[in-house]
Amino acid sequence: MHDHERVGDGSVDHGAATTGAASGRRGLGRALGWAAVCGYAWWAVGLAPFSSAASLAVVLAGGTAAVLGSRARRPAASPADRRRTAPWLVLVAAGAAVQLAAYLQHPRDDHPTLSSLTNALLDSHVARAAAFVAWLVAAAELARR
Amino acid sequence: MTRTLTLLGYAVVAAAAIGLEVAARRGMCATFGQALSAAVHRRPVRLLLIAGWLWLGWHVFVRVDWQ
Repeated sequence: MHDHERVGDGSVDHGAATTGAASGRRGLGRALGWAAVCGYAWWAVGLAPFSSAASLAVVLAGGTAAVLGSRARRPAASPADRRRTAPWLVLVAAGAAVQLAAYLQHPRDDHPTLSSLTNALLDSHVARAAAFVAWLVAAAELARR
Repeated sequence: MTRTLTLLGYAVVAAAAIGLEVAARRGMCATFGQALSAAVHRRPVRLLLIAGWLWLGWHVFVRVDWQ
């Protein structure tokens, strides 16, 4: 092998190593970020219900997720026309009507609302923490749009 | 019976949402994401939806007695 070939190979390897290290650092940073979010979620859903600390922990985290999402907003695309989005509007209205009809009637066992069903689903600490993380991700995603 | 009816109502709405999304992928209407983007195109709607989402989180994770 000639000298210039060796030099060339070395510089390519060095560049690849640098790119690999930067990518590794980004991956590590992302993993640490997710670990922090999961740890926070685990802590936040363990706070006493109806307490100011729980309110603050939830609202601050949700607000932060919304702010971070809005800072990374997607470029505005031309919105879909109303005829194409109308079915979703009808569906949301139907869902709201079912929810409202259940909410206005008692007892709750016979007329479950979405939140009473959710409470039953989120019985364990793990499920609540996972739902909290999903809620944060959705808040950031909503703000990105 | 009334509980079954209410649950059936939610199930029908959920099934319709899945059906609508499938139809949207075939180009028959907007996808849920496109409809959401169209809704948040207006700033007041966007702020209202974000505020509603924050309220929902507070309602689900704070105003509940897990015990």
